[in-house]
Amino acid sequence: MNNRKTSVFDGILGDNMVLSSLMVISPVIICGDTLKNAEALSYAFTSVTILSMLIASFVPKKLPYTVKIIIYAMISSLVYIPVKVATQEFYRGAIDRIGIYFPLLAVNSLIVLQSEAKFFRMPRAKMFFSLFFYVVGFDIVMLLTGLIRELLAYGTINGRVADVDLPVSGLSQPFGGFIFLGLMCGLYRWIRSLVSREKKEMRSEPYVSDN
Amino acid sequence: MFLITDLIALLAANLILTQALGTSTLFIAAGNRKNLIWTACTITVFTTVGSVAAYITDRNLPEKYSDYSLLIYTLSVGILYVILLSALYFISRDNFAKTRKYIHVSAFNCAVMGTLFTISRKASEDSSLMNLGSYIRAGFEAGIGFILAAVILTAAYRKLNSVKVPASFRGFPAMLIYLGIISMAVYALK
Repeated sequence: MNNRKTSVFDGILGDNMVLSSLMVISPVIICGDTLKNAEALSYAFTSVTILSMLIASFVPKKLPYTVKIIIYAMISSLVYIPVKVATQEFYRGAIDRIGIYFPLLAVNSLIVLQSEAKFFRMPRAKMFFSLFFYVVGFDIVMLLTGLIRELLAYGTINGRVADVDLPVSGLSQPFGGFIFLGLMCGLYRWIRSLVSREKKEMRSEPYVSDN
Repeated sequence: MFLITDLIALLAANLILTQALGTSTLFIAAGNRKNLIWTACTITVFTTVGSVAAYITDRNLPEKYSDYSLLIYTLSVGILYVILLSALYFISRDNFAKTRKYIHVSAFNCAVMGTLFTISRKASEDSSLMNLGSYIRAGFEAGIGFILAAVILTAAYRKLNSVKVPASFRGFPAMLIYLGIISMAVYALK
């Protein structure tokens, strides 16, 4: 039971895929400047990743690693097609705004790299449970980034004018995305060290002395 | 002056600094200079050769089937992935185990797939770019841009991972902020 509880919070806080491992950060940096973009990206990422991993988990384990990776990427590219059609229905105009980052979600590193390295080594039920919370972890970061950047960059929330007099227009640009995500990463690590008292682990991360 | 103009153009079109494509791969590979150089070179091979596949796809795929372009790009990169691994195996079996990781890391990442989509989008906006030469040149430039960003990150890697940086910001967060500042400078150049 303890293991299961740990795996649940791993994806959200302990090992958040964006803030801890810096996976799938391009859409967060470039497209996470409004809540509308963030909603569409979260929806697409959740659908493509969960459906693809669900199907890919039935691929025979005995196949060579390279063949499996190509099959996983092909599966997610196929799943992407109906997800794109649905996104066009639910989030009109979102695909035009998001541009090339939309198809890139289909070949994200959670599907093509972490599937073999982590998820497909777990029992199937535990894998889906863990995967779900990793995806939720991405969605939380994506939505939070979209909300804060939109508020500070445009002075709006979900397209509605908010009473904010300190627009920082640079936050809507890619460099604003880099800096904002860097600050969020630092804040996340600080909170994680406070919550789990993992300061010792943080010190043990590779660093190079100035001397 | 000509070189400076070219360098500015290369920076302005840089896939990492302006589009954040392949940033995670860059950070992972940045820990070791040799890894970084080989990863960047392998990505350049993928973007350059992949651009040929993108050209053939864009040229022949009817507009109404454009949703299938991702599937065809993925298949093309997959075939290239197998060809490169096979070539590496036959060229040097002794070094195969050591060097295959660069191909595994480079195949399906945002830098490669994003480059193919970027080239395709530019060609659809400007028909003069819809030729094989433009595709290959754009694919090669994207790879060179990745190498350039790798060099920029390597220059500050030791400082960004220094013990003098607060523990919470050491490593990835500091590298993100650093790239953000470089990206801001490139934005100003455009």
